[in-house]
Amino acid sequence: MPVGKRRSSLIRSPQFSSLVILIVLLAVFAIADRNFLSPLNISNMMAFLPELGIIALGMTLLLTAGEFDLSVGAVFGLAPVLVMLLVQNGNWDIGVALLAGLLLCIAIGAINGLIVTKIGISSFLVTLSMLLVVRGAALYITQGFPLKSWDQPGFFVTLLAGSFNVGSFRFYTSLWWFIGLSVFAIYILRYAKLGNWISAIGSNRNAAVARGVPADAVKIWLFIATSVLAGLAGMISAFRISAASPVAGTGYELEVIAMVVVGGTALTGGRGTILGTIVGALMLRAIRNGIVLIGVPGLAYNIFVGLIILAMLILHALLQKNAARS
Amino acid sequence: MDVLRLQNLQKSFGSVRALKNASLTLREGEVVALLGDNGAGKSTLIKAISGVFPIDRGEIFVRGEKVSIRSTRDAMDLGIETIHQDTSLAPDLSIARNLFLGREPVNFGWLGVFAPLDLAKLRKAASELLKRVGISKKLDADALVSTLSGGERQSIAISRAMQFAAKVIILDEPTNNLGVEETHGVLRFVKEVRDAGHSVLLITHNIHHVFQVADRIIVMRRGEIVAEQTVADTDLLTVESIITGADMSALLKEARAK
Ligand SMILES: Nc1ncnc2c1ncn2[C@@H]1O[C@H](COP(=O)(O)OP(=O)(O)O)[C@@H](O)[C@H]1O
Ligand SMILES: [Mg+2]
Repeated sequence: MPVGKRRSSLIRSPQFSSLVILIVLLAVFAIADRNFLSPLNISNMMAFLPELGIIALGMTLLLTAGEFDLSVGAVFGLAPVLVMLLVQNGNWDIGVALLAGLLLCIAIGAINGLIVTKIGISSFLVTLSMLLVVRGAALYITQGFPLKSWDQPGFFVTLLAGSFNVGSFRFYTSLWWFIGLSVFAIYILRYAKLGNWISAIGSNRNAAVARGVPADAVKIWLFIATSVLAGLAGMISAFRISAASPVAGTGYELEVIAMVVVGGTALTGGRGTILGTIVGALMLRAIRNGIVLIGVPGLAYNIFVGLIILAMLILHALLQKNAARS
Repeated sequence: MDVLRLQNLQKSFGSVRALKNASLTLREGEVVALLGDNGAGKSTLIKAISGVFPIDRGEIFVRGEKVSIRSTRDAMDLGIETIHQDTSLAPDLSIARNLFLGREPVNFGWLGVFAPLDLAKLRKAASELLKRVGISKKLDADALVSTLSGGERQSIAISRAMQFAAKVIILDEPTNNLGVEETHGVLRFVKEVRDAGHSVLLITHNIHHVFQVADRIIVMRRGEIVAEQTVADTDLLTVESIITGADMSALLKEARAK
Protein backbone atom coordinates (compact mmCIF):
# COMPACT_ATOMS: atom_id res chain seq x y z
CA MET A 1 0.00 0.00 0.00
CA PRO A 2 1.45 3.36 -0.91
CA VAL A 3 2.42 5.62 1.96
CA GLY A 4 -0.11 8.30 1.10
CA LYS A 5 -2.94 5.83 1.04
CA ARG A 6 -1.82 4.30 4.31
CA ARG A 7 -1.67 7.69 5.95
CA SER A 8 -5.16 8.64 4.84
CA SER A 9 -6.57 5.35 6.08
CA LEU A 10 -4.87 5.99 9.43
CA ILE A 11 -6.45 9.42 9.66
CA ARG A 12 -9.85 8.02 8.84
CA SER A 13 -9.48 5.17 11.33
CA PRO A 14 -11.74 5.29 14.39
CA GLN A 15 -8.90 5.26 16.91
CA PHE A 16 -7.40 8.31 15.27
CA SER A 17 -10.57 10.41 15.48
CA SER A 18 -10.96 9.30 19.10
CA LEU A 19 -7.42 10.42 19.79
CA VAL A 20 -8.06 13.85 18.29
CA ILE A 21 -11.15 14.26 20.44
CA LEU A 22 -9.25 13.11 23.52
CA ILE A 23 -6.61 15.76 22.90
CA VAL A 24 -9.28 18.43 22.40
CA LEU A 25 -11.02 17.38 25.60
CA LEU A 26 -7.76 17.42 27.57
CA ALA A 27 -6.98 20.87 26.22
CA VAL A 28 -10.44 22.18 27.12
CA PHE A 29 -10.21 20.84 30.65
CA ALA A 30 -6.66 22.10 31.08
CA ILE A 31 -7.66 25.59 29.99
CA ALA A 32 -10.87 25.60 32.03
CA ASP A 33 -9.15 24.50 35.20
CA ARG A 34 -5.44 24.79 35.89
CA ASN A 35 -5.60 22.02 38.43
CA PHE A 36 -6.54 19.49 35.75
CA LEU A 37 -2.91 18.93 34.77
CA SER A 38 -1.54 19.19 38.31
CA PRO A 39 0.59 16.27 39.46
CA LEU A 40 -1.97 15.40 42.10
CA ASN A 41 -4.84 15.25 39.63
CA ILE A 42 -2.87 13.33 37.03
CA SER A 43 -1.74 10.87 39.68
CA ASN A 44 -5.35 10.50 40.70
CA MET A 45 -6.53 9.77 37.19
CA MET A 46 -3.70 7.31 36.61
CA ALA A 47 -4.66 5.44 39.79
CA PHE A 48 -8.19 4.82 38.54
CA LEU A 49 -7.39 4.35 34.87
CA PRO A 50 -5.93 0.83 34.97
CA GLU A 51 -8.79 -0.61 36.98
CA LEU A 52 -11.40 -0.05 34.31
CA GLY A 53 -8.83 -0.09 31.51
CA ILE A 54 -7.73 -3.65 32.25
CA ILE A 55 -11.32 -4.88 32.01
CA ALA A 56 -11.78 -2.88 28.82
CA LEU A 57 -8.91 -4.79 27.16
CA GLY A 58 -10.72 -8.09 27.66
CA MET A 59 -14.01 -6.53 26.65
CA THR A 60 -12.47 -5.27 23.40
CA LEU A 61 -11.38 -8.75 22.38
CA LEU A 62 -14.76 -10.16 23.36
CA LEU A 63 -16.66 -7.49 21.44
CA THR A 64 -14.44 -8.02 18.42
CA ALA A 65 -15.44 -11.68 18.49
CA GLY A 66 -19.08 -10.56 18.54
CA GLU A 67 -19.96 -11.10 22.23
CA PHE A 68 -19.97 -9.00 25.36
CA ASP A 69 -20.01 -9.46 29.09
CA LEU A 70 -22.26 -7.56 31.48
CA SER A 71 -21.04 -9.47 34.54
CA VAL A 72 -17.60 -7.83 34.74
CA GLY A 73 -18.63 -5.21 37.32
CA ALA A 74 -20.06 -7.91 39.57
CA VAL A 75 -16.94 -10.07 39.19
CA PHE A 76 -14.87 -6.99 40.02
CA GLY A 77 -16.82 -6.89 43.31
CA LEU A 78 -17.00 -10.59 44.13
CA ALA A 79 -13.40 -11.68 43.54
CA PRO A 80 -11.78 -9.48 46.23
CA VAL A 81 -14.66 -10.09 48.63
CA LEU A 82 -14.12 -13.83 48.36
CA VAL A 83 -10.35 -13.54 48.71
CA MET A 84 -10.61 -11.29 51.77
CA LEU A 85 -13.21 -13.51 53.41
CA LEU A 86 -11.02 -16.56 52.97
CA VAL A 87 -8.04 -14.72 54.41
CA GLN A 88 -9.77 -12.94 57.27
CA ASN A 89 -12.44 -15.43 58.32
CA GLY A 90 -10.98 -18.64 57.01
CA ASN A 91 -7.36 -17.88 57.90
CA TRP A 92 -6.26 -18.91 54.45
CA ASP A 93 -2.88 -17.95 53.15
CA ILE A 94 -3.25 -14.89 50.90
CA GLY A 95 -1.61 -16.67 47.95
CA VAL A 96 -3.96 -19.62 48.18
CA ALA A 97 -6.93 -17.30 48.61
CA LEU A 98 -5.90 -15.39 45.47
CA LEU A 99 -5.68 -18.67 43.61
CA ALA A 100 -9.23 -19.46 44.74
CA GLY A 101 -10.32 -16.04 43.46
CA LEU A 102 -8.67 -16.76 40.13
CA LEU A 103 -10.43 -20.12 39.86
CA LEU A 104 -13.73 -18.42 40.65
CA CYS A 105 -13.22 -15.94 37.79
CA ILE A 106 -12.26 -18.74 35.41
CA ALA A 107 -15.39 -20.64 36.40
CA ILE A 108 -17.65 -17.62 35.90
CA GLY A 109 -16.15 -16.89 32.48
CA ALA A 110 -16.34 -20.53 31.44
CA ILE A 111 -19.99 -20.77 32.45
CA ASN A 112 -20.80 -17.59 30.50
CA GLY A 113 -18.95 -18.86 27.47
CA LEU A 114 -20.34 -22.38 27.55
CA ILE A 115 -23.94 -21.22 27.82
CA VAL A 116 -23.51 -18.62 25.08
CA THR A 117 -21.78 -20.95 22.60
CA LYS A 118 -23.17 -24.39 23.37
CA ILE A 119 -26.76 -23.53 24.23
CA GLY A 120 -26.88 -20.53 21.95
CA ILE A 121 -28.39 -17.91 24.24
CA SER A 122 -27.32 -14.33 23.52
CA SER A 123 -24.47 -13.04 25.63
CA PHE A 124 -26.66 -10.12 26.69
CA LEU A 125 -29.09 -12.41 28.48
CA VAL A 126 -26.54 -14.86 29.83
CA THR A 127 -24.20 -12.28 31.30
CA LEU A 128 -27.07 -10.13 32.59
CA SER A 129 -28.24 -13.14 34.59
CA MET A 130 -24.67 -13.82 35.64
CA LEU A 131 -24.39 -10.22 36.84
CA LEU A 132 -27.31 -10.81 39.20
CA VAL A 133 -25.98 -14.14 40.43
CA VAL A 134 -22.48 -12.83 41.06
CA ARG A 135 -23.55 -9.56 42.64
CA GLY A 136 -26.08 -11.44 44.72
CA ALA A 137 -23.38 -13.85 45.86
CA ALA A 138 -21.10 -10.99 46.89
CA LEU A 139 -23.89 -9.39 48.93
CA TYR A 140 -24.92 -12.67 50.49
CA ILE A 141 -21.52 -13.90 51.63
CA THR A 142 -20.74 -10.51 53.18
CA GLN A 143 -24.27 -9.94 54.44
CA GLY A 144 -24.01 -6.64 52.59
CA PHE A 145 -21.20 -5.21 54.67
CA PRO A 146 -17.82 -4.12 53.36
CA LEU A 147 -14.99 -6.23 54.71
CA LYS A 148 -12.83 -4.67 57.37
CA SER A 149 -9.83 -3.02 55.94
CA TRP A 150 -6.83 -4.99 54.84
CA ASP A 151 -3.64 -3.14 55.48
CA GLN A 152 -0.98 -5.80 55.78
CA PRO A 153 1.60 -5.07 53.14
CA GLY A 154 3.13 -8.04 51.45
CA PHE A 155 4.31 -9.45 48.19
CA PHE A 156 0.90 -9.58 46.53
CA VAL A 157 -0.15 -6.14 47.69
CA THR A 158 3.06 -4.68 46.30
CA LEU A 159 2.64 -6.68 43.12
CA LEU A 160 -0.88 -5.44 42.45
CA ALA A 161 -1.15 -2.11 44.21
CA GLY A 162 2.32 -0.94 45.19
CA SER A 163 3.07 2.68 44.47
CA PHE A 164 6.10 4.69 43.44
CA ASN A 165 6.91 8.32 42.88
CA VAL A 166 8.21 9.95 39.73
CA GLY A 167 9.01 13.56 40.65
CA SER A 168 5.86 14.86 42.20
CA PHE A 169 3.72 12.23 40.47
CA ARG A 170 2.58 9.17 42.39
CA PHE A 171 1.91 6.06 40.31
CA TYR A 172 0.68 2.59 41.19
CA THR A 173 2.09 -0.67 39.88
CA SER A 174 -1.34 -1.23 38.38
CA LEU A 175 -0.25 1.16 35.64
CA TRP A 176 2.45 -1.34 34.66
CA TRP A 177 -0.14 -4.09 34.58
CA PHE A 178 -2.28 -1.97 32.29
CA ILE A 179 0.61 -1.11 29.99
CA GLY A 180 1.85 -4.68 29.86
CA LEU A 181 -1.57 -6.15 29.22
CA SER A 182 -2.27 -3.48 26.60
CA VAL A 183 0.87 -4.38 24.68
CA PHE A 184 -0.06 -8.04 24.86
CA ALA A 185 -3.62 -7.33 23.68
CA ILE A 186 -2.37 -5.22 20.77
CA TYR A 187 -0.05 -8.02 19.79
CA ILE A 188 -2.83 -10.60 19.98
CA LEU A 189 -5.38 -8.64 17.99
CA ARG A 190 -3.13 -7.28 15.27
CA TYR A 191 -0.25 -9.66 14.85
CA ALA A 192 -1.14 -13.08 16.22
CA LYS A 193 -3.00 -15.89 14.53
CA LEU A 194 -5.51 -15.72 17.39
CA GLY A 195 -6.35 -12.12 16.55
CA ASN A 196 -7.09 -13.06 12.96
CA TRP A 197 -9.49 -15.67 14.28
CA ILE A 198 -11.12 -13.28 16.76
CA SER A 199 -11.82 -10.68 14.07
CA ALA A 200 -13.02 -13.30 11.62
CA ILE A 201 -15.40 -14.85 14.15
CA GLY A 202 -16.93 -11.47 14.93
CA SER A 203 -17.07 -10.49 11.30
CA ASN A 204 -18.65 -13.66 9.95
CA ARG A 205 -18.77 -16.59 12.33
CA ASN A 206 -19.93 -19.12 9.75
CA ALA A 207 -17.14 -18.18 7.38
CA ALA A 208 -14.59 -18.64 10.15
CA VAL A 209 -16.03 -22.00 11.18
CA ALA A 210 -16.03 -23.13 7.55
CA ARG A 211 -12.29 -22.43 7.47
CA GLY A 212 -11.74 -24.66 10.50
CA VAL A 213 -11.50 -21.87 13.07
CA PRO A 214 -12.66 -23.21 16.47
CA ALA A 215 -15.07 -20.33 17.07
CA ASP A 216 -16.73 -21.67 20.20
CA ALA A 217 -13.45 -22.44 21.94
CA VAL A 218 -12.08 -19.00 21.11
CA LYS A 219 -15.19 -17.33 22.51
CA ILE A 220 -15.16 -19.40 25.69
CA TRP A 221 -11.52 -18.50 26.32
CA LEU A 222 -12.29 -14.83 25.70
CA PHE A 223 -15.11 -14.95 28.25
CA ILE A 224 -12.68 -16.53 30.70
CA ALA A 225 -10.00 -13.93 29.98
CA THR A 226 -12.48 -11.07 30.44
CA SER A 227 -13.69 -12.49 33.73
CA VAL A 228 -10.14 -13.02 34.99
CA LEU A 229 -9.19 -9.46 34.01
CA ALA A 230 -12.28 -8.15 35.85
CA GLY A 231 -11.24 -10.10 38.94
CA LEU A 232 -7.66 -8.84 38.64
CA ALA A 233 -8.92 -5.27 38.39
CA GLY A 234 -11.11 -5.85 41.43
CA MET A 235 -8.13 -7.14 43.44
CA ILE A 236 -6.02 -4.17 42.37
CA SER A 237 -8.74 -1.78 43.46
CA ALA A 238 -9.36 -3.54 46.78
CA PHE A 239 -5.64 -3.59 47.63
CA ARG A 240 -5.25 0.04 46.64
CA ILE A 241 -8.02 1.30 48.91
CA SER A 242 -7.40 -1.44 51.47
CA ALA A 243 -11.00 -2.55 51.51
CA ALA A 244 -13.34 -4.92 49.70
CA SER A 245 -16.94 -3.91 49.26
CA PRO A 246 -19.65 -6.21 47.92
CA VAL A 247 -21.03 -3.37 45.84
CA ALA A 248 -17.68 -2.35 44.33
CA GLY A 249 -17.80 -2.14 40.54
CA THR A 250 -21.52 -1.47 40.28
CA GLY A 251 -22.23 -0.07 36.83
CA TYR A 252 -18.69 -0.74 35.59
CA GLU A 253 -19.94 -3.03 32.84
CA LEU A 254 -21.56 -0.13 31.01
CA GLU A 255 -18.66 2.21 31.66
CA VAL A 256 -16.26 -0.36 30.23
CA ILE A 257 -18.41 -1.03 27.16
CA ALA A 258 -18.63 2.74 26.66
CA MET A 259 -14.82 3.00 26.75
CA VAL A 260 -14.50 0.27 24.18
CA VAL A 261 -17.06 1.59 21.69
CA VAL A 262 -15.97 5.20 22.12
CA GLY A 263 -12.54 3.98 21.08
CA GLY A 264 -13.93 2.71 17.81
CA THR A 265 -14.55 -1.00 18.37
CA ALA A 266 -17.77 -2.10 16.70
CA LEU A 267 -20.49 -3.36 19.04
CA THR A 268 -21.51 -5.76 16.30
CA GLY A 269 -18.14 -7.49 16.14
CA GLY A 270 -15.40 -7.87 13.56
CA ARG A 271 -13.72 -4.53 14.07
CA GLY A 272 -11.73 -4.03 17.26
CA THR A 273 -8.95 -1.69 18.26
CA ILE A 274 -6.96 -1.89 21.46
CA LEU A 275 -5.34 1.50 20.85
CA GLY A 276 -8.82 2.93 20.50
CA THR A 277 -9.83 1.31 23.78
CA ILE A 278 -6.84 2.85 25.55
CA VAL A 279 -7.86 6.22 24.15
CA GLY A 280 -11.46 5.52 25.18
CA ALA A 281 -10.41 4.60 28.72
CA LEU A 282 -8.33 7.77 29.00
CA MET A 283 -11.21 9.78 27.59
CA LEU A 284 -13.88 8.56 29.98
CA ARG A 285 -11.47 8.92 32.91
CA ALA A 286 -10.64 12.48 31.84
CA ILE A 287 -14.28 13.37 31.28
CA ARG A 288 -15.36 12.07 34.68
CA ASN A 289 -12.50 13.88 36.35
CA GLY A 290 -12.58 17.07 34.31
CA ILE A 291 -16.30 17.62 34.53
CA VAL A 292 -16.13 17.68 38.30
CA LEU A 293 -13.15 20.01 38.26
CA ILE A 294 -14.74 22.56 35.95
CA GLY A 295 -17.69 22.71 38.29
CA VAL A 296 -20.50 20.86 36.54
CA PRO A 297 -22.96 20.04 39.35
CA GLY A 298 -22.57 16.46 40.53
CA LEU A 299 -26.09 15.49 39.62
CA ALA A 300 -25.76 16.81 36.06
CA TYR A 301 -22.59 14.85 35.56
CA ASN A 302 -23.98 11.79 33.77
CA ILE A 303 -25.80 14.03 31.29
CA PHE A 304 -22.44 15.20 30.01
CA VAL A 305 -20.84 11.79 30.04
CA GLY A 306 -23.77 10.39 28.09
CA LEU A 307 -23.79 13.21 25.57
CA ILE A 308 -20.07 12.95 24.89
CA ILE A 309 -20.33 9.20 24.37
CA LEU A 310 -23.25 9.71 22.01
CA ALA A 311 -21.33 12.34 20.06
CA MET A 312 -18.37 9.97 19.70
CA LEU A 313 -20.55 7.16 18.43
CA ILE A 314 -22.20 9.44 15.88
CA LEU A 315 -18.77 10.50 14.71
CA HIS A 316 -17.63 6.90 14.28
CA ALA A 317 -20.81 6.03 12.41
CA LEU A 318 -20.31 8.94 10.03
CA LEU A 319 -16.68 8.05 9.43
CA GLN A 320 -17.65 4.46 8.82
CA LYS A 321 -20.23 5.54 6.23
CA ASN A 322 -17.69 7.75 4.56
CA ALA A 323 -15.12 4.98 4.40
CA ALA A 324 -17.66 2.60 2.90
CA ARG A 325 -18.57 5.14 0.23
CA SER A 326 -15.06 5.99 -0.89
CA MET B 1 -10.70 -41.55 -11.80
CA ASP B 2 -13.37 -40.85 -9.18
CA VAL B 3 -12.18 -38.01 -7.01
CA LEU B 4 -15.18 -38.11 -4.75
CA ARG B 5 -17.77 -40.83 -4.27
CA LEU B 6 -20.74 -40.62 -1.95
CA GLN B 7 -22.65 -43.76 -1.12
CA ASN B 8 -26.09 -43.79 0.45
CA LEU B 9 -25.71 -40.66 2.53
CA GLN B 10 -28.50 -40.06 5.01
CA LYS B 11 -29.15 -37.09 7.22
CA SER B 12 -32.19 -36.11 9.27
CA PHE B 13 -32.98 -32.98 11.22
CA GLY B 14 -35.48 -34.20 13.76
CA SER B 15 -38.31 -35.60 11.68
CA VAL B 16 -37.14 -33.88 8.47
CA ARG B 17 -35.25 -36.36 6.32
CA ALA B 18 -33.10 -33.88 4.44
CA LEU B 19 -30.99 -36.60 2.77
CA LYS B 20 -32.56 -39.96 2.13
CA ASN B 21 -30.18 -42.07 0.13
CA ALA B 22 -27.88 -39.83 -1.80
CA SER B 23 -25.12 -41.34 -3.91
CA LEU B 24 -23.00 -39.61 -6.49
CA THR B 25 -19.54 -39.57 -7.99
CA LEU B 26 -17.36 -36.73 -9.11
CA ARG B 27 -14.57 -37.43 -11.57
CA GLU B 28 -11.30 -35.69 -12.07
CA GLY B 29 -11.47 -32.36 -13.90
CA GLU B 30 -15.21 -32.20 -14.42
CA VAL B 31 -17.89 -29.76 -13.41
CA VAL B 32 -20.97 -31.43 -12.04
CA ALA B 33 -24.06 -29.32 -11.50
CA LEU B 34 -26.30 -30.23 -8.60
CA LEU B 35 -29.80 -29.02 -9.29
CA GLY B 36 -33.02 -29.07 -7.36
CA ASP B 37 -35.79 -26.97 -5.96
CA ASN B 38 -35.53 -25.09 -2.69
CA GLY B 39 -35.43 -27.58 0.15
CA ALA B 40 -34.35 -30.47 -2.06
CA GLY B 41 -31.35 -31.13 0.18
CA LYS B 42 -28.54 -29.67 -1.91
CA SER B 43 -27.04 -27.56 0.84
CA THR B 44 -27.42 -30.41 3.32
CA LEU B 45 -25.53 -32.71 0.97
CA ILE B 46 -22.60 -30.37 0.55
CA LYS B 47 -22.51 -29.47 4.24
CA ALA B 48 -22.19 -33.16 4.98
CA ILE B 49 -19.27 -33.45 2.56
CA SER B 50 -17.56 -30.34 3.88
CA GLY B 51 -17.81 -31.37 7.52
CA VAL B 52 -20.27 -28.77 8.78
CA PHE B 53 -22.18 -31.59 10.44
CA PRO B 54 -21.74 -35.37 10.55
CA ILE B 55 -23.87 -37.67 8.39
CA ASP B 56 -26.21 -40.15 10.04
CA ARG B 57 -25.37 -43.01 7.70
CA GLY B 58 -23.48 -43.63 4.47
CA GLU B 59 -19.94 -43.65 3.17
CA ILE B 60 -17.64 -41.09 1.59
CA PHE B 61 -14.68 -42.03 -0.58
CA VAL B 62 -11.96 -39.64 -1.66
CA ARG B 63 -9.86 -41.04 -4.51
CA GLY B 64 -11.19 -44.47 -3.74
CA GLU B 65 -10.27 -44.33 -0.09
CA LYS B 66 -12.97 -44.42 2.55
CA VAL B 67 -12.81 -41.35 4.77
CA SER B 68 -14.66 -39.98 7.73
CA ILE B 69 -15.30 -36.25 7.74
CA ARG B 70 -16.12 -34.98 11.18
CA SER B 71 -15.12 -31.32 10.94
CA THR B 72 -14.56 -28.61 8.37
CA ARG B 73 -10.86 -29.08 9.05
CA ASP B 74 -11.09 -32.77 8.08
CA ALA B 75 -12.68 -31.83 4.76
CA MET B 76 -10.06 -29.16 4.04
CA ASP B 77 -7.26 -31.60 4.85
CA LEU B 78 -8.75 -34.05 2.35
CA GLY B 79 -8.64 -31.36 -0.34
CA ILE B 80 -12.33 -30.54 -0.30
CA GLU B 81 -12.88 -26.79 -0.34
CA THR B 82 -16.37 -25.41 -0.03
CA ILE B 83 -17.74 -21.99 -0.79
CA HIS B 84 -20.96 -21.77 1.14
CA GLN B 85 -23.97 -19.70 0.23
CA ASP B 86 -23.20 -16.07 1.15
CA THR B 87 -21.00 -17.00 4.07
CA SER B 88 -17.54 -17.61 2.77
CA LEU B 89 -15.62 -14.43 3.67
CA ALA B 90 -15.20 -12.21 6.71
CA PRO B 91 -15.95 -8.68 5.46
CA ASP B 92 -13.92 -6.88 8.14
CA LEU B 93 -10.71 -8.69 7.24
CA SER B 94 -8.38 -7.86 4.38
CA ILE B 95 -8.30 -9.97 1.24
CA ALA B 96 -4.95 -11.41 2.25
CA ARG B 97 -6.17 -12.37 5.71
CA ASN B 98 -9.29 -13.95 4.26
CA LEU B 99 -7.32 -15.96 1.73
CA PHE B 100 -5.36 -17.59 4.52
CA LEU B 101 -8.01 -17.70 7.23
CA GLY B 102 -7.60 -20.90 9.22
CA ARG B 103 -4.28 -21.63 7.48
CA GLU B 104 -2.30 -18.56 8.40
CA PRO B 105 1.43 -18.57 7.71
CA VAL B 106 3.14 -17.90 11.05
CA ASN B 107 6.53 -17.53 12.61
CA PHE B 108 7.37 -19.42 15.81
CA GLY B 109 4.66 -21.99 15.14
CA TRP B 110 5.24 -23.58 18.54
CA LEU B 111 3.44 -20.61 20.08
CA GLY B 112 0.19 -22.08 18.77
CA VAL B 113 -2.64 -19.58 18.50
CA PHE B 114 -0.35 -16.94 20.00
CA ALA B 115 2.12 -17.25 17.14
CA PRO B 116 2.74 -14.06 15.16
CA LEU B 117 1.44 -14.01 11.59
CA ASP B 118 4.10 -13.92 8.92
CA LEU B 119 2.63 -10.74 7.45
CA ALA B 120 5.20 -10.36 4.69
CA LYS B 121 4.63 -13.89 3.48
CA LEU B 122 0.88 -13.47 3.84
CA ARG B 123 0.84 -10.38 1.67
CA LYS B 124 3.24 -11.79 -0.91
CA ALA B 125 1.35 -15.05 -1.26
CA ALA B 126 -1.92 -13.15 -1.53
CA SER B 127 -0.70 -10.87 -4.31
CA GLU B 128 0.77 -13.83 -6.16
CA LEU B 129 -2.49 -15.67 -5.91
CA LEU B 130 -4.50 -12.67 -7.09
CA LYS B 131 -2.13 -12.32 -10.01
CA ARG B 132 -2.41 -16.00 -10.88
CA VAL B 133 -6.18 -15.89 -11.00
CA GLY B 134 -6.06 -12.71 -13.01
CA ILE B 135 -7.71 -10.28 -10.62
CA SER B 136 -4.63 -8.53 -9.28
CA LYS B 137 -4.96 -5.46 -11.46
CA LYS B 138 -8.00 -4.25 -9.64
CA LEU B 139 -7.55 -5.64 -6.17
CA ASP B 140 -5.09 -4.77 -3.41
CA ALA B 141 -4.34 -7.65 -1.04
CA ASP B 142 -4.65 -5.25 1.91
CA ALA B 143 -8.12 -4.02 0.94
CA LEU B 144 -10.96 -4.98 3.23
CA VAL B 145 -13.38 -7.48 1.78
CA SER B 146 -16.25 -5.18 2.82
CA THR B 147 -15.14 -2.79 0.07
CA LEU B 148 -15.52 -5.43 -2.67
CA SER B 149 -18.47 -6.15 -4.95
CA GLY B 150 -20.34 -9.42 -4.71
CA GLY B 151 -18.64 -10.80 -7.80
CA GLU B 152 -15.19 -9.87 -6.55
CA ARG B 153 -15.98 -11.59 -3.27
CA GLN B 154 -16.96 -14.80 -5.03
CA SER B 155 -13.78 -14.64 -7.10
CA ILE B 156 -11.75 -14.26 -3.93
CA ALA B 157 -13.55 -17.18 -2.32
CA ILE B 158 -13.00 -19.36 -5.37
CA SER B 159 -9.35 -18.43 -5.64
CA ARG B 160 -8.93 -19.32 -1.99
CA ALA B 161 -10.34 -22.74 -2.72
CA MET B 162 -7.93 -23.13 -5.66
CA GLN B 163 -4.87 -22.08 -3.79
CA PHE B 164 -4.78 -25.08 -1.52
CA ALA B 165 -4.79 -27.28 -4.59
CA ALA B 166 -8.12 -28.65 -3.56
CA LYS B 167 -9.16 -31.82 -5.31
CA VAL B 168 -12.79 -30.88 -5.04
CA ILE B 169 -14.25 -27.41 -5.05
CA ILE B 170 -17.87 -27.09 -4.02
CA LEU B 171 -19.79 -23.94 -4.83
CA ASP B 172 -23.19 -23.41 -3.24
CA GLU B 173 -25.21 -20.98 -5.36
CA PRO B 174 -22.17 -18.81 -6.18
CA THR B 175 -24.10 -16.51 -8.49
CA ASN B 176 -26.90 -15.67 -6.08
CA ASN B 177 -27.32 -11.92 -5.70
CA LEU B 178 -24.84 -11.17 -8.47
CA GLY B 179 -25.34 -8.92 -11.46
CA VAL B 180 -25.24 -10.26 -15.01
CA GLU B 181 -21.67 -9.15 -15.61
CA GLU B 182 -20.44 -10.59 -12.32
CA THR B 183 -22.29 -13.83 -12.89
CA HIS B 184 -20.49 -14.31 -16.17
CA GLY B 185 -17.21 -13.55 -14.44
CA VAL B 186 -17.84 -16.26 -11.88
CA LEU B 187 -18.91 -18.80 -14.48
CA ARG B 188 -15.80 -18.08 -16.54
CA PHE B 189 -13.84 -18.59 -13.39
CA VAL B 190 -15.47 -21.97 -12.78
CA LYS B 191 -14.32 -23.10 -16.22
CA GLU B 192 -10.80 -21.93 -15.51
CA VAL B 193 -10.82 -23.82 -12.26
CA ARG B 194 -11.81 -26.98 -14.10
CA ASP B 195 -9.19 -26.40 -16.76
CA ALA B 196 -6.63 -26.14 -13.99
CA GLY B 197 -7.54 -29.71 -13.10
CA HIS B 198 -9.90 -29.31 -10.17
CA SER B 199 -13.24 -31.05 -9.92
CA VAL B 200 -16.15 -28.77 -9.25
CA LEU B 201 -19.53 -29.48 -7.69
CA LEU B 202 -21.72 -26.53 -8.60
CA ILE B 203 -25.02 -26.00 -6.88
CA THR B 204 -27.39 -23.64 -8.55
CA HIS B 205 -30.96 -22.74 -9.27
CA ASN B 206 -30.22 -21.44 -12.68
CA ILE B 207 -30.40 -24.06 -15.39
CA HIS B 208 -28.96 -21.73 -18.01
CA HIS B 209 -25.73 -21.51 -16.06
CA VAL B 210 -25.55 -25.25 -15.95
CA PHE B 211 -25.60 -25.55 -19.68
CA GLN B 212 -22.82 -23.00 -19.92
CA VAL B 213 -20.30 -24.66 -17.60
CA ALA B 214 -21.28 -28.15 -16.49
CA ASP B 215 -20.26 -31.51 -17.91
CA ARG B 216 -22.85 -33.48 -16.00
CA ILE B 217 -26.10 -32.72 -14.23
CA ILE B 218 -27.41 -34.33 -11.08
CA VAL B 219 -30.93 -33.52 -9.93
CA MET B 220 -32.14 -33.82 -6.36
CA ARG B 221 -35.67 -33.87 -5.13
CA ARG B 222 -36.83 -34.30 -1.51
CA GLY B 223 -33.51 -35.61 -0.29
CA GLU B 224 -32.95 -38.05 -3.11
CA ILE B 225 -31.03 -38.03 -6.35
CA VAL B 226 -33.60 -38.50 -9.06
CA ALA B 227 -31.62 -38.07 -12.23
CA GLU B 228 -28.10 -38.01 -13.58
CA GLN B 229 -27.28 -36.95 -17.13
CA THR B 230 -24.43 -35.65 -19.19
CA VAL B 231 -25.07 -32.19 -20.53
CA ALA B 232 -24.43 -33.28 -24.09
CA ASP B 233 -27.25 -35.83 -23.88
CA THR B 234 -29.99 -33.60 -22.55
CA ASP B 235 -31.63 -30.26 -22.93
CA LEU B 236 -33.08 -27.46 -20.88
CA LEU B 237 -36.70 -28.59 -21.00
CA THR B 238 -35.96 -32.10 -19.89
CA VAL B 239 -33.92 -30.98 -16.95
CA GLU B 240 -36.51 -28.44 -15.96
CA SER B 241 -39.24 -31.03 -15.87
CA ILE B 242 -37.11 -33.38 -13.79
CA ILE B 243 -36.46 -30.69 -11.25
CA THR B 244 -40.10 -29.84 -10.81
CA GLY B 245 -41.10 -33.51 -10.91
CA ALA B 246 -43.45 -33.19 -13.83
CA ASP B 247 -44.37 -36.41 -15.56
CA MET B 248 -40.85 -37.62 -15.84
CA SER B 249 -41.10 -40.94 -17.59
CA ALA B 250 -43.11 -39.51 -20.43
CA LEU B 251 -40.85 -36.56 -20.82
CA LEU B 252 -37.73 -38.67 -20.66
CA LYS B 253 -39.06 -41.03 -23.27
CA GLU B 254 -39.88 -38.09 -25.44
CA ALA B 255 -36.44 -36.65 -24.95
CA ARG B 256 -34.79 -39.92 -25.82
CA ALA B 257 -36.90 -40.30 -28.93
CA LYS B 258 -35.60 -36.98 -30.17
N1 LIG C 1 -30.03 -27.15 10.21
C1 LIG C 1 -31.24 -27.61 9.84
N2 LIG C 1 -32.15 -27.92 10.78
C2 LIG C 1 -33.36 -28.40 10.42
N3 LIG C 1 -33.75 -28.60 9.16
C3 LIG C 1 -32.88 -28.30 8.18
C4 LIG C 1 -31.59 -27.80 8.47
N4 LIG C 1 -30.93 -27.59 7.30
C5 LIG C 1 -31.79 -27.96 6.33
N5 LIG C 1 -32.96 -28.40 6.86
C6 LIG C 1 -34.10 -28.91 6.09
O1 LIG C 1 -33.63 -29.88 5.22
C7 LIG C 1 -34.27 -29.78 3.97
C8 LIG C 1 -33.21 -29.56 2.89
O2 LIG C 1 -32.65 -28.24 3.01
P1 LIG C 1 -31.42 -27.70 2.14
O3 LIG C 1 -30.40 -28.77 2.09
O4 LIG C 1 -31.02 -26.39 2.68
O5 LIG C 1 -32.11 -27.51 0.72
P2 LIG C 1 -31.57 -26.76 -0.56
O6 LIG C 1 -30.18 -26.28 -0.32
O7 LIG C 1 -31.66 -27.79 -1.64
O8 LIG C 1 -32.52 -25.64 -0.82
C9 LIG C 1 -35.25 -28.66 4.06
O9 LIG C 1 -36.51 -29.21 4.36
C10 LIG C 1 -34.74 -27.86 5.21
O10 LIG C 1 -35.80 -27.20 5.86
MG1 LIG D 1 -29.36 -24.16 -0.29
